[in-house]
Amino acid sequence: MRKLTFLLTCLFLVGVGLVNAQSRSVSGSVFSADDGQPVIGATVKVKGTTVGTITDTDGKFRINVPASGKNLLISFVGMKTIEVEAKNDVVIKLEADAKQMDEVVVTAVGIKRSQKSLGYAASTMAPEDALNKSQPDFLKELQGNVAGVDVRSSQGTPGAATRINIRGNSSFFGDNEPLIIVDGVPIGNDQVATTSQTSGGGAYSDGFSSIDPNDIATMTVLKGSAAAALYGSRASNGVIIIKTKSGNVGGMKKKLEVTLNSSWSTESIANLPDYQNLYGAGSNFSYSNANGSWGAKFGTLDSIPLQNSDWKKYYPKSFPSSGNIAYKAQPNNVKDLFKTGLVAENSINLAGGNGKSAFNVTLSNLDQTGYVPNSSYGRTSISVGGSSELANGLTIRGSVSFTNTKQLGSQFGENQVSGASSSFARALFLARNWDIAGQPYETPTGLPISTSNAQYDNPLWDFQHNTVNTNVDRVMSNFSAEYKILDWLSASYQLGSSIYSLDRKEIIDIGSRAAGGKGDIKTDIYRHAEFESNFLLTAQKDLFDDNFSVKFILGHNLNDQNTTRQANDGAEISVPGIYSLTNTKTQTVLEDAITQRRLVGVFGDLTLGYKNYVFLNVSGRNDWSSTLPIANRSYFYPAVSGSFIFSDALDIKSDLFSIGKIRAGWAKVGNDASAYSLVNTYGVLTPFNGQATASVGSASKDPNLQPEFTQEVELGTMLEFFKRRLAFDFTWYNKISTNQIGSISLPASSGFSSYLTNFGKIQNTGVELDATAKVIDNRDFKWSFHYTFTKNKNTVLELANGVERIQLNGVLDNISPYLEKGMPFGYLRGTVNYRDAQGNLLIDPKTGLLIPDPNQKMVGDPNPDYKMGLGTTVTYKNFFLSAHFDMTKGGDIYSVTVNTLLGRGVTQDTQDREHTWVIPGYYGDANTGKPILDASGNKIANTIQVTTNDLYFGNSFAINGQTEFSVYDATVYRFRELTFGYDFNKKLLAKTPFGSATISFSAYNLWFYAPNIPKHTNFDPETNSYGSTSTQGIELSAAPSTRRLGVNLKLTF
Amino acid sequence: MKMKKIFLLFFLPALLVGCTTWLDVNKDPNNPTDVPMTLLLPTIEINAAYTLAPGQGLGEDLAVYTHQVSTREAANVYNADGNEFYLNQAWNSMYITTLQNLDNVIVKADASNAPYYSGIGKILKAYMFSQFVDVFGDIPFSQANKKASDGILYPKFDKSADIYPLLIALLDSGIVDMKKPVAAITPGADDLIFGGSAKSWIKTANTIKLKLLIQTRLVGDKAKNLAAINTFLTATPATELIGKTSEGFMFPYSSVRTPDQRHPAYPATYEATQKTDDMSPWFYEILKGKNPLFSGIIDPRIPYYFYNQMDPKATAGNDGNSFEYRDGGFVSIYFGSNGPDNGRAQDKSQTVYGIYPCGGRYDQGDAQVVSATSGTGAAPYRFLTYADRLFLEAEVIQAGGGDATAKLTSAITEAFKLVDYVAGKANGSQSIPVLAGSSNATDYINAIIGLYTAGSAEKKMEIIMTQKWISSFGSSIDQYTDYRRTGYPVLFDPNNAVSVTPPIGGDPSRTTGSDPAVNVSCPRGFPRSLPWAITNELNVNKNAPAEKSDLTSPYVFWDLKK
Repeated sequence: MRKLTFLLTCLFLVGVGLVNAQSRSVSGSVFSADDGQPVIGATVKVKGTTVGTITDTDGKFRINVPASGKNLLISFVGMKTIEVEAKNDVVIKLEADAKQMDEVVVTAVGIKRSQKSLGYAASTMAPEDALNKSQPDFLKELQGNVAGVDVRSSQGTPGAATRINIRGNSSFFGDNEPLIIVDGVPIGNDQVATTSQTSGGGAYSDGFSSIDPNDIATMTVLKGSAAAALYGSRASNGVIIIKTKSGNVGGMKKKLEVTLNSSWSTESIANLPDYQNLYGAGSNFSYSNANGSWGAKFGTLDSIPLQNSDWKKYYPKSFPSSGNIAYKAQPNNVKDLFKTGLVAENSINLAGGNGKSAFNVTLSNLDQTGYVPNSSYGRTSISVGGSSELANGLTIRGSVSFTNTKQLGSQFGENQVSGASSSFARALFLARNWDIAGQPYETPTGLPISTSNAQYDNPLWDFQHNTVNTNVDRVMSNFSAEYKILDWLSASYQLGSSIYSLDRKEIIDIGSRAAGGKGDIKTDIYRHAEFESNFLLTAQKDLFDDNFSVKFILGHNLNDQNTTRQANDGAEISVPGIYSLTNTKTQTVLEDAITQRRLVGVFGDLTLGYKNYVFLNVSGRNDWSSTLPIANRSYFYPAVSGSFIFSDALDIKSDLFSIGKIRAGWAKVGNDASAYSLVNTYGVLTPFNGQATASVGSASKDPNLQPEFTQEVELGTMLEFFKRRLAFDFTWYNKISTNQIGSISLPASSGFSSYLTNFGKIQNTGVELDATAKVIDNRDFKWSFHYTFTKNKNTVLELANGVERIQLNGVLDNISPYLEKGMPFGYLRGTVNYRDAQGNLLIDPKTGLLIPDPNQKMVGDPNPDYKMGLGTTVTYKNFFLSAHFDMTKGGDIYSVTVNTLLGRGVTQDTQDREHTWVIPGYYGDANTGKPILDASGNKIANTIQVTTNDLYFGNSFAINGQTEFSVYDATVYRFRELTFGYDFNKKLLAKTPFGSATISFSAYNLWFYAPNIPKHTNFDPETNSYGSTSTQGIELSAAPSTRRLGVNLKLTF
Repeated sequence: MKMKKIFLLFFLPALLVGCTTWLDVNKDPNNPTDVPMTLLLPTIEINAAYTLAPGQGLGEDLAVYTHQVSTREAANVYNADGNEFYLNQAWNSMYITTLQNLDNVIVKADASNAPYYSGIGKILKAYMFSQFVDVFGDIPFSQANKKASDGILYPKFDKSADIYPLLIALLDSGIVDMKKPVAAITPGADDLIFGGSAKSWIKTANTIKLKLLIQTRLVGDKAKNLAAINTFLTATPATELIGKTSEGFMFPYSSVRTPDQRHPAYPATYEATQKTDDMSPWFYEILKGKNPLFSGIIDPRIPYYFYNQMDPKATAGNDGNSFEYRDGGFVSIYFGSNGPDNGRAQDKSQTVYGIYPCGGRYDQGDAQVVSATSGTGAAPYRFLTYADRLFLEAEVIQAGGGDATAKLTSAITEAFKLVDYVAGKANGSQSIPVLAGSSNATDYINAIIGLYTAGSAEKKMEIIMTQKWISSFGSSIDQYTDYRRTGYPVLFDPNNAVSVTPPIGGDPSRTTGSDPAVNVSCPRGFPRSLPWAITNELNVNKNAPAEKSDLTSPYVFWDLKK
């Protein structure tokens, strides 16, 4: 009976009519030629009829062949369709098909299309690959693997945000990150920052980190506007569509399958600087208790006074009674501050179904401790999904997932900003004689002790006491229904929600140099709830002997977002060790805000196909947004794209030339504003002396705001050779965003700091190349390469009429990212030195050092020139080996780490110091910035000798110098990943309960080389301080990047 | 039938949209679109003080330029350029927070018949603009803060000489407003400075006017200018000028830490572990009678002005380092120093601001390492005091060739009363002696007056201006102006000093006589105006002039060297 039901279902599925009375019954079984396993769900059709069935869980089928039927056609996705005679007990072996090009790609609003019909670039990632690599942050796997995508890490501490950017920055002030859609629901990758990352704050995580990678089934990257147009407003920076296993359970028929995935890895600092160990603290070769290691040479002084009498006061037995300690190098003093971190990840996946109903459960847990003591990240996730096809043909699907993440870390930022205390203020720059790790870091009552309590908090104390603790819960739920109304008409509806709740506590403990030593607690409670509803009506028909295909989709979309945030500050901790707001002397509400926005969209999408080699797609969408003025709230935008498989059309296929496709797309995408962007408001401030106070908001607004638009043209081609063993996919695009909604920076004298209005034009143009080569493709030995190339040029074409430049983000007074006509997006403008007309440096005739120019200039461009990735995979029998290299050319970074390593004289870069230097240049007048001329009117070359100490600590090339010399070219070559593994033979496992077993070893960030960074600093230019925001190219003593080594085990049974 | 139901279910959300009110959710529930004037006036007054006071505003760098403070920051070598944090912050709090709210108050006051609000607005506006003109010269004035009313995004800069007369007119208009009968809406406790007292504002306005007239007395026809000043002084009733210590134009800070209501230099000194302000040895030596000008005359205000963290006899420093300048308990660094001890950490040893400048600790000789609770921070920021008025009048008498002995005597006496007044406001729980009328004070005044009587006309003017400079410690804007318009007081000149020597025997940790002479140098000359803010103004204002190319050339129209 069960079998009959199953069969009937199958018949329905392939749209078969009635069974012919004169038919004969034929049975058979289908196997894979590759591994001999039964093929479940293969389609068996009687040629020339509409009669068909699918194979069961054992690969077996039985079919009634009408009298007119002679042969059977057996097909399965990814395998070559074969034709056999319809006879009983036939055994069919299906071979993998390298030629077929019918990969189904999930596109905007969940519409599935064949790769053939796409008029734009779309890449799909297989998450299984990533799960073999002990990679806690799934987004990082896109780096170098998908052309057109730029992924940047931020800090090397657990859970720190990853920035992802597709085809450049198209918005002046948006976050410029792609829209991330999980099972149809948009989720933000926003980073919630409690404290400005200039003056402190943690290495905050991003929104994406609360998605469980173990439950991801597919990840598709839609890069261009043509692909993303139907998502409208938020898709101008591309879209990443994620389908989870739980949210997309299909009508599978299999017994319970259990998959266990476990990985363990260690994590350490990728590269510490190469320290010099010849000179200790002081200046100009004489010892003093200073921060810089410019002091006396080791061996020239016996002992020095203990830098802080607290050590001796609280630990009299640990220090000599003389109060003096030995003056000697501590070669490992930085290394000893850190430890080896551990990452353990375990997941269980349960899946099964009876063909009509199916379920999936994914449970996972990640525990990560970083190399920084007291830093950790944990993620626990439960995802459950099920689907059922009801007797009336309605398919219902539902899923719920819950993820909790916990992040613990220390505080960062620029220590020199008033009231700041960065845990990395001195950590990498310890004077070479400081034994921080070997001496107590706190008093018995928990107050910090360092060589100078006034200037920095002992990093070991800081790690333990000044912390950021963040707890995030994300709940996602999804319901969908599909119904086939008529043969050619179907309807589907989806309702989903995502609720993201963040709860954070930032502690500055009693005794820190920050918060006046009194302690301070900040709490931040943030909740973002998003609801998304999508209704689709799809009509699809093949016409004129199947030569023409027509597909028309009509859709409706609703989106509702609610954000609440409450942040509080408790000043002065009363009782030590209790970190609750109630244990503080005074409390201030920092923020208490509700934000709501809504969007309604209606769209249509028409795809026409001719003979399966010419496709045309036209779509249009109209949005109504709550954030725009009523008169401008409705806006429409269209898209057109097409593809032409010329290899099929012209029939020029051969063994040499397999497939040739060209594609073209044009799209316009609209975007709305942030909520409450139309009316100037006042801010109510904290009372003063009992008087309530308020101030006019410094941002002025435009009540007639209009939607902004991005237009993009893309052209691409896909060429495959040698039976698809060599494949190229090339795309060129030109994206222009106009009428941007953004803030024009105003001079303070206007009375406002900014004006939010429509203005400007920004262009992104670039190329993407994706190439694969299967050099060896035997059954036992496979060797392939995958190469990607990404180049994007991001230029600001126009700002508002008469606006010269705009500050993108006020980082520091001496360097910030700016926008300016004709300049790259977010170029760095900072302080420079006076030069003569020929560009020679002007030298102060009194000191022999440089003369600062009071005017700022461009000092760097953080946008890389291009990026390349090269991956290779070798499979020999059951062994597999894969390696991934990538490189980034260009892009500049302002690095406080490098600046300080040089300025403090701690690395081998500045070890050669026992002679003087003459800075090449001419004498200049510090008052006028003009060269000083001799009696005959000639410039006078500098001959003043300066010490190495002054070269890096005076007004010259590092600390105390102008920012132009602390900006470095960020070109970097990297051996990013290496994985080696073994797939246990299925025959071997036959007697075990396991269906499959894989063990692999992986290494991440094995080696990098940054040729333009001072050699011994070993600074990784991939680190930055601003996480997933659009402020890039600025690093303020961030935690260095990590190296990971791990082992991974995957079992199914 | 069933199918219909399903269809309906599908379309239900679509139908919902029929009502467009679903999208009407864009009214900001968090911030008001209008607030009463009573909430804006305190913000204006708070920010007027922040714009100018040391620790937060222009006073931070100018205290170094007028040689009352030493630092290791850029101001140390006259190099506070337009990128400077304090400068940009002052520019923001001036134009955005102070003036924009001020203009809003004036518009609201005029619309709701509240002349006192309007009058306070005009007087404060005139004062703040005058301070900016004095410091920067040409500034945005006529087109400033006109974005909301006239859509001006990029104000042009007006000439300093053109702005002054308009400020006098603004003061006159403010006085007219303050003399109107009491209206239904009048300021009270929301006026943090004078509690809504119209009389106090009239006194302030007239005294500001007097100051502006005196500041321009050397521009053009000097005799005519002096006559105009004297006419103004005769025509203005004594009851309409600041005439008592407590009538001084001062912003009252309190001791409340959160939200911070303390004098901004207090947390920057007493709470910050890494301190940026050292007390200038040049200033110290004048007070200590080590400078030839007041040789041998010790100023009794020293323990009110400075607090010594070091025990005068201690041989080991609290930070474990040797010092560049030490005289017993007084520890500091020189301006423009290249000395080997200049960069040493001395946060726990250096002499810091005392009770008078920022509400710190009165120095009773207890030599504590200061912390957030050593003082209160409740000292007012002194915009313009009764003592200032008396010194201004002494200057006028002296300039006119008269005998200013009586005026100078009362000015110095008032300066002592002012110290007592501030100590009274800022005292936490110390026992602080009264200064005015004490024998030390009397001796000091007599000694100074003795020097004055004996001095040449030039010396007399120098003594008046130097005494004014001493009295206004903590309020550096007018000091900077006075120096540039009169040449007094004589300031430390790093370019002629070459090397300076700390007091012999001042450092008990060194063998007497072994204190090394310290080399000082400064590549730049004295800046005769401050550069304009780059980050918040020049970088984004297309109508702004290029940054001043040479700060040593005279710039403001009343500059002595102009």
